[in-house]
Amino acid sequence: MNFAQALASGLLTGFVYALIAAGLTLIFGVMEIVNFAHGEFLMLSMYLSYFFHASLHLDPLVALPLNALALFALGVIVYFALIRRVLKAPMLAQVFATFGLGVFLQNLAQFFWRPDFRTLGDTWVSGKRIAPFGVFVGGPQLAAAIGAVVTTWLLWWLLARTSIGRALLATAEDKQAAALMGIDPDRMFALAWGIGAACVGVAGALLSTFHYVFPQVGSQFALIAFVAVALGGFGSVLGAFAGGIAIGVVESLAGVFIQPALKNLFVFAIYVLVVLVRPRGLLGKQ
Amino acid sequence: MRPRTSGLSLQAAVALLAAAVLGWPLIFRGPYPQHIMILILLNALLGTAWNILGGFAGQISLGQAIFFGAGAYTSTLLAQHAEISPWIGLVAGALVAIVIAIAIGGPCFRLSGHYFAIATIALGEIAAIAVTNWDYAGGAVGLFLPVEGTGLAQMKFDDKRGYHYVICALLVLALAVTVWLRGARAGYYWRAIREDQAAARSAGVPATRYKLLAISISAALTAMAGTFYAQYVLFIDPPSVLPLSLSIQICLVAVLGGAGTLLGPLLGAAVLVPLSAATSVLLGGSGRSLDLVVYGALIMVIAVFEPSGLVGLWRRISATVSRN
Amino acid sequence: MILLAVASEIVIGAVYPLSGNLAKVGTDIKDAVELAAEIVNDDVDLPVPLGKGKGLPGVGGARVRVVFADHQSSPEKGLSEAERLITQEHVVALIGSYNSNVTATASQAAERLKIPFLNETSTSPLLTARGFKWFFRTTPTDDEFSDNFFKFLKTRKGVKRVALMYENTLFGSDVSRFEKRYAEKYGYEVVADVAYDAKSTNLTSEIQRLKSASPEVLLQTSYTSDAILSTKTMKDLDFRPQAILAMDAGHVASEFVPALGKDAEGIISREVWALGLGAKKPIVARVNDLFRKRTQASRGAPVDMDGTSARAFVGFLVLCEAINRAGSTEPEKIRAALEATNISAEALIMPWQGVKFDPKTHQNALGSGILVQIQDGKYVVVYPFELAQAEVRWPLAAWK
Repeated sequence: MNFAQALASGLLTGFVYALIAAGLTLIFGVMEIVNFAHGEFLMLSMYLSYFFHASLHLDPLVALPLNALALFALGVIVYFALIRRVLKAPMLAQVFATFGLGVFLQNLAQFFWRPDFRTLGDTWVSGKRIAPFGVFVGGPQLAAAIGAVVTTWLLWWLLARTSIGRALLATAEDKQAAALMGIDPDRMFALAWGIGAACVGVAGALLSTFHYVFPQVGSQFALIAFVAVALGGFGSVLGAFAGGIAIGVVESLAGVFIQPALKNLFVFAIYVLVVLVRPRGLLGKQ
Repeated sequence: MRPRTSGLSLQAAVALLAAAVLGWPLIFRGPYPQHIMILILLNALLGTAWNILGGFAGQISLGQAIFFGAGAYTSTLLAQHAEISPWIGLVAGALVAIVIAIAIGGPCFRLSGHYFAIATIALGEIAAIAVTNWDYAGGAVGLFLPVEGTGLAQMKFDDKRGYHYVICALLVLALAVTVWLRGARAGYYWRAIREDQAAARSAGVPATRYKLLAISISAALTAMAGTFYAQYVLFIDPPSVLPLSLSIQICLVAVLGGAGTLLGPLLGAAVLVPLSAATSVLLGGSGRSLDLVVYGALIMVIAVFEPSGLVGLWRRISATVSRN
Repeated sequence: MILLAVASEIVIGAVYPLSGNLAKVGTDIKDAVELAAEIVNDDVDLPVPLGKGKGLPGVGGARVRVVFADHQSSPEKGLSEAERLITQEHVVALIGSYNSNVTATASQAAERLKIPFLNETSTSPLLTARGFKWFFRTTPTDDEFSDNFFKFLKTRKGVKRVALMYENTLFGSDVSRFEKRYAEKYGYEVVADVAYDAKSTNLTSEIQRLKSASPEVLLQTSYTSDAILSTKTMKDLDFRPQAILAMDAGHVASEFVPALGKDAEGIISREVWALGLGAKKPIVARVNDLFRKRTQASRGAPVDMDGTSARAFVGFLVLCEAINRAGSTEPEKIRAALEATNISAEALIMPWQGVKFDPKTHQNALGSGILVQIQDGKYVVVYPFELAQAEVRWPLAAWK
């Protein structure tokens, strides 16, 4: 029973990690840039849910498409205002451009909205709970997990089954060849940033039903997402999904059966062990 | 890479700079400007040590805090449990860091690019969690060093001048090692590995051995900085000597200054430390973190306009000066 | 010898976490300290030290000015900001710094530069065990608070099994050490000992562990975010001990009850202060009104005082009262005045017997804690019984 409960809790968290990681890995796959401001995108989306709920009484699950749209716009703006200017710069300059953006956004949030911890209060799913076979599953967590799975599936469908997705993948494969085929890499890059940010926008809305919001909320999620992306293999959406779930489950099992204070140690250790065996992650091209 | 600029000759610039740094605590008597200079030198040392591994050998480490912590904890534990002088602790810390570096480098150097960088983040977090739960090393409570018992032998001083000259000496050591290795065979091999590892290997460069050399030297110098920090602040705990933010800051200093150049980390430290101090003095008291808003914006500006670091700006300025 | 011109302004340095994770607490403290300075400087009809009359009469009516510095929860920044305030801003005394580890380094700077350091909100017992000459602490410590928990538990019949849950930085692990010591002393069995990382994004495995140990009472030590998250997770996993005794911090933060609503009901926390003390001490309500006015002006919404802001408020007044008695801005005279401090209970908004520093450790010997329980969304004093506003509600109601 303990094991089933730990596994269930781990899976529920893992799906949300997976969605955050999916957005990160998409951007990387298309243009080999790691977005170190990813956690701050998540934070902004959570604030968005909070303000929708507090001032317009919009349930975060209803407002979810708005979050996705707003974050899509943010991603595109960030691409044109910042990322395009460092495309040809060394990898480290790119890292610090996005890192600087993260510091900037996080503290701007604190400047405007103060460091208070905010929670949404009553939403459609809060306070509900199911307990099949004695395993407790919270409504918000269940909704978040389902939302995360659906969104990740949509992303995969978009990439694999639509012409936009094929253009994105072609750009990821070979910029020059894609350009010869009439695909504008600039537009594809902007699109990747838009979609990557939209994914984390959805994740933010889903999280906001049960997780408090404050300016630093993104940091820990982002760190886990980095590890999930690397664990799954940079650029692989399915890899990020597998990585996110693996981390959620390892974290939960280690916390219950080994030592709670050490649970993150096991998450990081699993990453190190996996890449020692498979240097490009679980599903990366070896 | 040796900058043979027609501008301000390197020697003259170095001599001028060295004189200014050495004379600093004699001119500025207040502990605060002295403290800022010590922080600049400490960051310059950390950036220089990172640079050997990240700038010259091209292996991006975001886990330098492991080595910093190794130095800080080794010397402090030796002092607490066996009353061993921090000078011996400094050497012992460097040795411990080298052992850890080889244990990390051995397996992890098979990873490339981002996979290596994330692995160093993961190892850094593992180290922080492990020490937090390690009672012998003070765990989460940390370790205090006694305030009394000052003197050169104890690497503990009543006023900041002593600390200033100790950190100067460590920085000179790091720079000397960098200059020496850069001109020696190691420097050529490192550059070859950084540009194209596969090509370097097929040209007969023993890549793994030279990468291990780079991480060992980088680790040893970083550990010395850690010992110095422990003696300077007299209190260490995991959040102050093992956090991810420290690893990132170390990398930031070198990269914003100019990775792979001798002057880069010095320039990076000389700009970033006063910048962060000034924004926090001018804007930090408000409780609204405007200082960090400005700091983040400036990092973006530098990344966009001087992507290879402030050293490029410096070269252009010195070229202009000499042309006039 | 020329008579020294009497300073028309006395500058006091304050080092707090004004940005980063604890910025919320830092800004609360900042408002409290500024309110205290305003009361000192203006003629306010309140029976607190220096309430009536303008400025410090003992120092020629000088006004006090506070210079704030942000330590970002970093011990190194705490050290350097304390040095900067002392040497650049020429402050005559320091107050701070909330985080115990930052107080440790910031007070080292003060000790070295021979400037009095008044600590009002850090509860690590280690700090006063150092025997510093320039360090004074008004707040009681985790040692006394832990003892208090078990004295209270002794009044409940039939409780034997307790579990500990604490965040594993300095604060939590320090507290757990004392709780374990007192659990043994008072004869309780510790059935689970769960340390966790306060940065965790989820706490399900921690709660699951507690649940399988089925303790009668949970002793919890958490910061704000993890206090909120753990309570929600307890509900999700249907974990309900008879009582939760929380060690202040997150469980009494101003957003705890608003964030959790009914789910916060019944939790007991140690406190140093509660609005409910106003029932026996009218001065409490009056100071709180002023605090609400101040926060209304500075943030657009009124905020009630809490244990942290109240202690900061009192700490600052204690410091000013000593400077006033010293009649001088000379550090050594202020230090001597602090050592001679003897403030009575009536002049405080605290439940203490007063403020008087132990001659050796400089720990306030007259401090003591209270226990509050969240009843109908409010913190109500339930222990010690002579200060109690209401009976303890026991056990916790089952989750719905």
